[in-house]
Amino acid sequence: MGRYDFRALRVRQSAKQLFDNRKITALPPWYEVVGNIPPAETLVRPVMRTPRTKGTKKPSRMFQPMPIKYPEDKLRSEFFGDHPWELARPRIILEDNGNDAKGWDWSRIVQPGKKLDGESVVQRQLWLMQNDNLTKEAAYDQARREFYHHRHLEDVQRRVAKEEALATGAYFGKGVLEIGMELEDQAYENWKAWAQKQIDIEKQNREQLYSGPVEKPDGAGLDDEELDEALDKMEDAIPAGGQGAIGGAAIHP
Amino acid sequence: MIIRQLVLRQGRRAATVQSLRPLKRFLSSEVDSIESSLQNSIKETHSIEAYINSQSSTLVPSIDPNTHATASTGPVSNSVVEDYQIYKQQKQLIGQLGSAIPAHYQPHTLLTNPPSPSDVTLELLLASEAHQGHATSLWNPANARYIHGIRQGIHIISLDVTAAHLRRAARVVTEVTRRGGLVLFVGTRAGQDRAVVKAAQLAKGCHLFERWIPGSITNGQQILGKCRTMVVNEKDEEIPGFEEQLYERAVLKPDLVVCLNPMENYVLLHECGLNQIPTIGIIDTNADPTWVTYPIPANDDSLRCVQVIAGVLGRAGEQGQKLRLQAAEKGVITYMPAKGLKFPDDKTALAAGEEDDIDFETLDVAAIDDLERMLETEDFSDVEDADDVAIGEGQMDKLDGPDGDVPNTMKNMAREDVQSTLEDARVQNQLPIEDDEDQLQKLSRMGFQSSHPQGSAEWQEEMTKYLKGSEIS
Repeated sequence: MGRYDFRALRVRQSAKQLFDNRKITALPPWYEVVGNIPPAETLVRPVMRTPRTKGTKKPSRMFQPMPIKYPEDKLRSEFFGDHPWELARPRIILEDNGNDAKGWDWSRIVQPGKKLDGESVVQRQLWLMQNDNLTKEAAYDQARREFYHHRHLEDVQRRVAKEEALATGAYFGKGVLEIGMELEDQAYENWKAWAQKQIDIEKQNREQLYSGPVEKPDGAGLDDEELDEALDKMEDAIPAGGQGAIGGAAIHP
Repeated sequence: MIIRQLVLRQGRRAATVQSLRPLKRFLSSEVDSIESSLQNSIKETHSIEAYINSQSSTLVPSIDPNTHATASTGPVSNSVVEDYQIYKQQKQLIGQLGSAIPAHYQPHTLLTNPPSPSDVTLELLLASEAHQGHATSLWNPANARYIHGIRQGIHIISLDVTAAHLRRAARVVTEVTRRGGLVLFVGTRAGQDRAVVKAAQLAKGCHLFERWIPGSITNGQQILGKCRTMVVNEKDEEIPGFEEQLYERAVLKPDLVVCLNPMENYVLLHECGLNQIPTIGIIDTNADPTWVTYPIPANDDSLRCVQVIAGVLGRAGEQGQKLRLQAAEKGVITYMPAKGLKFPDDKTALAAGEEDDIDFETLDVAAIDDLERMLETEDFSDVEDADDVAIGEGQMDKLDGPDGDVPNTMKNMAREDVQSTLEDARVQNQLPIEDDEDQLQKLSRMGFQSSHPQGSAEWQEEMTKYLKGSEIS
């Protein structure tokens, strides 16, 4: 850590030393090649900021790369701030040959080979600001209007295409709402089945509670004679004023 | 399809429609009209046949007027060849119809037909996302000179620097393969395998797309000892009979390593540094450029970029191999033949064969005397053929030159070879080496040549100049 290993950059010198000291019998086949095509200079920091003039503060981050800025950046952030859902639309960012943008002409907002999206508005706005000398706001309004118009046309086109297809016998299957409702119904039916099962279990438990082996309460197993005998025995223990507040068996006949 | 047939059949009739026809049809009976339209359509078909026959060389089978089927042309008519001819003919006729589709990026073409070093443009590198580095916090400040700026939190690599380094690396690969060097292509990330294999195929090198086994260079005898090697001649034809000798030889080491993902292959690059093997690597903004000899600053996370770079280097290797084989056709060997190999049926080893060289270890004192005699008499006829002399680039230029000194040069080189052999044999046998001769031989082995007689003042001057130059380099 913190130390550089220059062995990779000095392969030629090391090979030469080995050869001179007879450690290897022949120079490797790349020896001349690396001599003719030497490795590039490395680890040299270019100065990224302008040098300090006298009396000014020394610029910080002198050797760090500078941010890259374009005039569109502000326009872009403004547009997507106003239309955040434009970012949710799928977009192709694959380049064909790197010259894709050279065929575009922003005097119109619609470009061949490019889908209409937020970037079109930004580029169109910039073009209007630069070529028609419109203010930023005016250019924004015009570009946006064109954008909305073409989006509307796209919607109409889509709707008409669907109608045509339906008229000629196309079948598109279930819609999103239908599928959603079906899923909801399915979930409800599942819940119903589950709830029915729970009720059944509950019922069984309750029945088990009452039908299980129950201990006989006192006196339950006595026949009439025994009962009378017992009552006679207890008669004296009961106060004349009836049952006490502590409670006890209701042995009144 | 139906519409096209309809247009084909009825189009001509529609073009020459007569205004009276509807009226006639109205007046005539239905059968008549059907009959006439049938006749009409047969006529149409015949005229189309004639048109097609006039356009193309192969005849279209004509329609029978009674059965309305194509006339049978014998057993050949149903053959695959004829069907194919018809298919081709139809394609030629109607293949151009429809809308024109502009050329688009096809990912497989980078693998099936990789770009060559001359195809490297900034647009190609831009389209393959070679400019995208890593997040600024991950950077290695050693890469500052390859970085163009910061955009949306990531470093952007300068594409002009990338292109320059890529071309330089391609030249290195070309030159090394031209001198018979073995190039190893390494790309161990997922998805890099096909690019690596393709590049190795083009450059006739080796490839590695799985894990680098640590020690494959530093401890190669243990790890790669079982691998098969073979002896080939200068035209890359295998020569059998060396198996016994090859079994005892040291394993092969690459002469150049191309690493497409240096971040994961530090061990490999370290071993190359230990063994004086130059390396080429794709250096992203988070990698250390001192790990490799020739960095190519580019995005190593984009498969498209990796495929472009591997393809370019593979094509460069292909070019180098082509140059080497072309030179071999002319009888010039651009590399040093392998040392220490004996031709299987000639154990004395002095009369060298096609591809092998003199074995130093087996030279005894008598053989040294023999060599000395040869040096004195300048008779090298029984040492080597002119074809077998391995020469460097500058020497080859001399050979190709029109000044007619070819035999002389050959002789010089043969002398040089014998001298160096002699010296090595002396070292092997621990014989004393004469001091002045030692200096001379060292010079000659370093490639020093002079037109002046040896020992003269001019010769001395040139020698000191040459020595100085080689010290600096």
